[in-house]
Amino acid sequence: MRHALHAEWTKLRTAPGTASLLAASIVLTAGASALAAAIVKCPGSCTADTTKLSLTGVMLGQATVATLAVLAMSSEYGTGMIRVTLAAMPRRPALLAAKAAVLTGVVLAAGAIAVGTSLLAGRFLEPGNGFTARHGFTPLSLADGPTLRAAAGSVLYLALIALFSLGAATALRDSAAAITVVLGLLYIFPVLGDVVLNPAWQHRIARWAPMNAGLAIQATRNLGTLPIGPWAGLGVLAAWAAVAMLAGGVLLRLRDA
Amino acid sequence: MAATITPYRSGQQAGHDGFAQVLRAEWTKFRTMRSWVIVMLAAAAATALAPIALAGTAKSNDPMTCVHGQCQVESSNVATGPDGEAVTDSFYFVHQPLAGNGSLTVAISSLRGSGPPLRKRHLPPWAPQTQPWAKAGILVKAGTTPGSPYAAILVTPGHGVRMQYDFTHDIAGPAAQVSAASPRWLRLTRAGDTLTGYSSADGRHWTKVGTVDLAGLPATVQAGLFVASPDYAVDTQSFGGGDQGASTPTQATAMFGSVTRRGDWPAGAWAGGHVGPLEVPLKVDGHCGGSSCGNTPQQPGRFTRSGGTFTVTGSGDIAPFVPIVDPLQVTLYGTLFGAIAIIALGAVYITGEYRRGLIRTTLAASPRRARVLAAKAIVIGSVSFVAGLAGAAVAFVFAQRKLTALGWTPPVWHDWALTSQIGVRVVLGTAALLAMTALLALAAGGILRRSAGAIAAVIGLVVVPLVLAVILPTAPATWLLRYTPAAAFSLQTSTLRYSQVNTACIPYHGCYPLAPWTGFAVMCAWVVLALGVAGYLLHRRDA
Repeated sequence: MRHALHAEWTKLRTAPGTASLLAASIVLTAGASALAAAIVKCPGSCTADTTKLSLTGVMLGQATVATLAVLAMSSEYGTGMIRVTLAAMPRRPALLAAKAAVLTGVVLAAGAIAVGTSLLAGRFLEPGNGFTARHGFTPLSLADGPTLRAAAGSVLYLALIALFSLGAATALRDSAAAITVVLGLLYIFPVLGDVVLNPAWQHRIARWAPMNAGLAIQATRNLGTLPIGPWAGLGVLAAWAAVAMLAGGVLLRLRDA
Repeated sequence: MAATITPYRSGQQAGHDGFAQVLRAEWTKFRTMRSWVIVMLAAAAATALAPIALAGTAKSNDPMTCVHGQCQVESSNVATGPDGEAVTDSFYFVHQPLAGNGSLTVAISSLRGSGPPLRKRHLPPWAPQTQPWAKAGILVKAGTTPGSPYAAILVTPGHGVRMQYDFTHDIAGPAAQVSAASPRWLRLTRAGDTLTGYSSADGRHWTKVGTVDLAGLPATVQAGLFVASPDYAVDTQSFGGGDQGASTPTQATAMFGSVTRRGDWPAGAWAGGHVGPLEVPLKVDGHCGGSSCGNTPQQPGRFTRSGGTFTVTGSGDIAPFVPIVDPLQVTLYGTLFGAIAIIALGAVYITGEYRRGLIRTTLAASPRRARVLAAKAIVIGSVSFVAGLAGAAVAFVFAQRKLTALGWTPPVWHDWALTSQIGVRVVLGTAALLAMTALLALAAGGILRRSAGAIAAVIGLVVVPLVLAVILPTAPATWLLRYTPAAAFSLQTSTLRYSQVNTACIPYHGCYPLAPWTGFAVMCAWVVLALGVAGYLLHRRDA
């Protein structure tokens, strides 16, 4: 397994897109978060969730994380490298596990930087926009329990998105198909969840769609009114990732490469 | 004697390399990829079926219609206008019958609002005293039944002199403000079915504002002075989804002098009264309806006469009714499923050539590279357009039928035919939107050369703004729907909006800041730019 991990790390490290995609996910996440923190104002009384606000960029950054994760598997199929890989590493579940472990590690590291920068930007920008003690807001701090949970959860969220994408890419093998399915599942439901007219369907989408449920981890206010609790929501995303990885693992084992 | 050697000549005819051949080659590439054809058919099917499925989740609990758990009273003050449309017809009317032809002339020396009444705690501090669309003027109306045909010449505090008739029509006159120092003179004459409105600054020199035909106006009509002041409505969305909105009735008071009648006025005396039911307002917060919401109901108006001067106070509006919810647009968001499949195809149509190395053969066969890109754009654009057209037409017809069955019925919600102006715009617009999305993906594929990156980038440009537009506050959300390709989704809206009706337009309620084809033009600009960059890079880079 140690050799598998080493091989996967070498492949990921030396693939041409990895560094730029990781950099892009950090810049997109932190940049969009800082932009949101800079433009959202608190004119009089406001009830905005400042932690969630400062983590807005995760919604954009996850697209590059998903791209990275999809390419980690499907580019092997694109170039035919997968046959070499499988010849060197005939135990296919171990291969997938090694890939998942390396990818998770990389995404956790990049996610921690992105989320940390986002929170820092929020901490400095938000008080200038009226989110001050006078309106009942304290500057963001990881010493605050819910903020710490939102921050750590957002990093985990990105890692789960990576695993979900890796599983989809393993099952579908083609990078175009995999990224389309992953981003379609992530982004269509939030649009529908906000526009469908039937409250029962709104509730269902908020609870079961991967992005809607997973991002519940970022909420720090009015937790009682959330359609799904923070950890339960992240659990739903974890279930999506588990199903995708399981499907990918079974198909990888059954099919010829 | 030397033998003549005939050089070898191929029996094959020399091939042409005209644009038609390039186009045919690109069409063959698309047609012979079975998986691409299947995905395109699936995109058409998703475009057709997803809206129909979504329509089934749209329940209208009339008389209150709720979206995002936010409701709007639709029935208490909505009448049916002359063309079957939903209208607001509620105002104070000082009137008497006019038999046959005649005219009425007045000079308005003041028009001032008294602001939202009483409880102001739900309203932001900037609630204006006077509504820009408050109205005072002369009205000729078939009767005092709400929704009956009318023509009016009027002044407004914010939009000058207007001639309006039958609710949906609005003709702009001089941009005049009224004051005691410079009263505005108005005249409305009736000659048969023709009504003509005039305006004057001094009562001597008149300019015509408009002439309208009201076919079928009865011989005796109600004519007189009216004042209306529309509800003050404010709606903003805040971070995290959700909006803060309030709507409250307002009042305005106008002074009419120099009232001069011409023609046959059999009653001889003026009678005043509020036309239409008094509205019971709803504070839009989702937890209460009707009078329980704590707002004051609409106040009835009044009029006093001293000498030749009438002081009239009124409330309400004479205007088309614009609902907040657009159920058809909500169902058409289902076309996003088709759009995402088409994004993938558009990108792969060019990145696939890079992956397989086919691009080198393609460019060897057709060295003029811009032509290859143009041919690809025409093929993928046309195929997406046709798939979108078929899908959207089916979706439009069946989704609309389902919505009608669920209680989304006229007059507030229209049952548009496929051939109506809205039907044609929505269906053609959806097809054009999908074609442009495919071109954007093709250009992104040409620029990035990698499928995954290109698809992610285009989904980020087309779909993600829709996600962000409902969770960001009003200003950035509106900005996104104005400048990103997502602006083109305004083509799928079916609510009719009027410049003379002040409606709160926030993305949270599916309202787009740009007019439908303007939004589409924004997307076209993106496509032209992206294809230009792709063409330039294709020309400059080695394949």
